[in-house]
Amino acid sequence: MASAFLRRSNCSSMQSMVTGVRAVVSRAFASVSVGADIVDAAPSVSLQKARTWDEGVSSNFSTTPLKDIFKGKKVVIFGLPGAFTGVCTKAHVPSYKNNIDKFKAKGIESIICVAVNDPYVMKGWAEKLEANEIEFYGDFDGSFHKSLVLDKDLSGALLGPRSQRWSAYVEDGKVKVLNVETVPSEFKVSGGDVILGQI
Amino acid sequence: MAPIAVADVIPDGTLAYFDESDQLKTISVHSLAAGKKVILFGVPGAFTPTCSMKHVPGFIEKAEEFKAKGVDEILLISVNDPFVMKAWAKTYPENKHVKFLADGSATYTLALGLELDLAEKGLGTRSRRFALLVDDLKVKVANVEEGGEFTVSSAEEILKAL
Repeated sequence: MASAFLRRSNCSSMQSMVTGVRAVVSRAFASVSVGADIVDAAPSVSLQKARTWDEGVSSNFSTTPLKDIFKGKKVVIFGLPGAFTGVCTKAHVPSYKNNIDKFKAKGIESIICVAVNDPYVMKGWAEKLEANEIEFYGDFDGSFHKSLVLDKDLSGALLGPRSQRWSAYVEDGKVKVLNVETVPSEFKVSGGDVILGQI
Repeated sequence: MAPIAVADVIPDGTLAYFDESDQLKTISVHSLAAGKKVILFGVPGAFTPTCSMKHVPGFIEKAEEFKAKGVDEILLISVNDPFVMKAWAKTYPENKHVKFLADGSATYTLALGLELDLAEKGLGTRSRRFALLVDDLKVKVANVEEGGEFTVSSAEEILKAL
């Protein structure tokens, strides 16, 4: 699509400053694309770390600004339509859980799973998945995904406003790799195995 | 919408759930409640403590007593999607009668006038904690909590009214 080429050429000057980038954009229209700064794309956005209610109370329902998550770190982050749903539970999260050691060997400091759910549901799901090494965050009002234009209305599936299924490798806030499924029900480009080969 | 009150007719609306064969279904509230004695209770959120450890268990434990007093259905609604409701329901393997129904977009909660903005707690628009006794679509008892408490909306309170 023409817009994809336009974005790539706009990014090329930034890319020339960054060595060793392998760019994969499988969807044309995203406000965040390779080379973009994820924190700048969503300046006033925070995420909510998966937590129990008691933890919420004792932390005063604090949220985590994006810069605390991404600045100065190598992060692999993936987003999915919903906690407790089929592909997300059975395939997407496991593909990261099973590759934790390999991600760590590549210097990845955080592996983050985010969904448009509240942080208490995310905690309930994380415990069920026994995925202790993955950090789960809630984007409860969808503002993170909307800022990145990765939001998707899944009202037809009785989920309401949610997100695409996607994955990204972000280094010091800069998006190095971005994979977005053409439809959220698919699981082809956004898995842990794929991004491992792209880092 | 003004909050639902005694003598009101409950609005109709659509709620979602997974049936025994794990199929996603929607159902109209009126089809569940017309001509029947029904308890409808609502909670702010699945997987949150008062909801999970106090409010819901009370209704699960007292379900047989409710049935013995002529209650046909015990319906739990929350502003959560049906996948989350299904997973939450599974944490209560002893549950036989309480139906966990999803009001994912808060449409029915808004129709009842029982919405609560919990955005600062990371929850968004949710439902107040409440319990209604509804007889052939007419509200006989409406116990709605003011804030985060758990007093009037319990199973014990509604049992007293039967």
